[in-house]
Amino acid sequence: MKTVSEFYKMAMVVMQVVFLFYGCQQGSHDNDVNSRIKNAKTVMESQPETGETTMVLSNTVIAQVKHKDVPFRVETRKDVMERFKCSECHIGKKVHVTKADKVAHGNIKKLHGNKERPLACNTCHMKDERDFLVTEKGVKIDFNHSYQLCGHCHFREKADWVGGAHGKRVSFWAGERVVQNCTECHDPHSPKLTKRWPKTYSLPLSE
Amino acid sequence: MMSSKYIQEEFSDIIDDIFDKKTGRRSFLKGMAGLAAAGSSLTLAGCSNNSPFSEENILRLKEYFKGNFTLMSQEDKNATIKRLERLAKIKDGLDLKISSKGPIPNVLFGFALNVSRCEGFMDCVQACVDENNIDRKTKTQCIRVFEIEHGEMNVQSGNGKYFHEVPVDNHFYMGVQCFQCENAPCIKACPTKATWREDDGIVVVDYNWCIGCRYCQAACPYWGRRFNWNDPYIPAEELTRKQHYLGNRIRPKGTMEKCTFCIQRTRTGRLPACVEICPTGSRVFGNLLDPKSEIRFVLENKKVFRMKEDLGTDPKFWYFVD
Repeated sequence: MKTVSEFYKMAMVVMQVVFLFYGCQQGSHDNDVNSRIKNAKTVMESQPETGETTMVLSNTVIAQVKHKDVPFRVETRKDVMERFKCSECHIGKKVHVTKADKVAHGNIKKLHGNKERPLACNTCHMKDERDFLVTEKGVKIDFNHSYQLCGHCHFREKADWVGGAHGKRVSFWAGERVVQNCTECHDPHSPKLTKRWPKTYSLPLSE
Repeated sequence: MMSSKYIQEEFSDIIDDIFDKKTGRRSFLKGMAGLAAAGSSLTLAGCSNNSPFSEENILRLKEYFKGNFTLMSQEDKNATIKRLERLAKIKDGLDLKISSKGPIPNVLFGFALNVSRCEGFMDCVQACVDENNIDRKTKTQCIRVFEIEHGEMNVQSGNGKYFHEVPVDNHFYMGVQCFQCENAPCIKACPTKATWREDDGIVVVDYNWCIGCRYCQAACPYWGRRFNWNDPYIPAEELTRKQHYLGNRIRPKGTMEKCTFCIQRTRTGRLPACVEICPTGSRVFGNLLDPKSEIRFVLENKKVFRMKEDLGTDPKFWYFVD
């Protein structure tokens, strides 16, 4: 004969199983963002094409570095530089024009590097071939790939820039990745962004 | 003047549309009684043309009886867009291009903001207003940037209405907008199902289905939603003509609006306006499901946090530091 307490025990077991099952259901967050990211099955070779991502690639070059084996493009520098080519004046001998340095480069404010030991022109500009930049070790660098030079000292920023945590992507999140060069935002001669007034203002929170 | 026959045919069409069945002449007359009631509300709404049978009024009537966007077929969507474009042309002489483009498969949008790099220039705030056709009269903004002292981690201690030269020493700047939560409280609060989460993660509002009760605004823990107190005023030369049904089309008075990650831009592969304009590059946007995207690089390599993460809203907006 089954007693009441036996029946009670069975009921408890059933309830425990139900609660356990319910607990498991609550514990697994299948829909939160992190698990959705982890569970993303389809590995995408590149960003999806949306049909309207027609990028003008005329003023970009393929970067000399890759992120996760994916090549990307950088905006060119030579075509927007004011006085390129440098070899139009600097042809391996002294320039004999009165006040040539003031006229040609007087607008440059050099605020780069340590205050006590600021960078000299020739720290970055190649002395023998003026159309190129040069690293401390003497590696010749093209102006379009000036990020290679900046990255020599600012290697953390460069690593972030390659991955996408520093710098700016141009116009499209989809399609081929095109990023701005360091010099789009930072004046190489005084790289710190200047203080300015904000573009607009916000009204006080009323609600 | 329009002939009575034309009017009869036109109204017969409308009734077919609304009640989704063919009407004979007898049932047409029955329908007229219902239309008289609807018509009275339309005249209250203010019509430029006095005739109740003008093209504008017929379009308005059809618009009045359309369904929720989620229940529309593609033909319905195309039809309502055509009507909205035509209405804008008749009323204000505007040539709009409204899209109803759906989510791209295998895309989940995510956003990250670098709080150690943002300098509080507020270019993003202005770009957002310009892109999204936000009312200029009330100075509504969908992004708010807080100036917070170093060491503070509470947004409420920040100054959200600063106007002086930035950046100020010993302060950092933290922009707040809709975080497009995966588990969004605003969606649960809506009594009319006028707001929902799309497959690409963007929380959108059907502006014609919203009754303006503002429950969602009360439910949002991030102050992410805005209410239209007026018919939005936007100078014609500043109007963004490329619009999306769920995005930056001009919202009617008395409805909610919010940041949609610039749905009209992002669904065509472009970056949101705030990301594109940012002069410091603090804003990162991309596809969370793509392991090679920039947003994933940030999530995997930087110190990230989300605002009020303990609430369990699961936002798709991360802050990070260098």
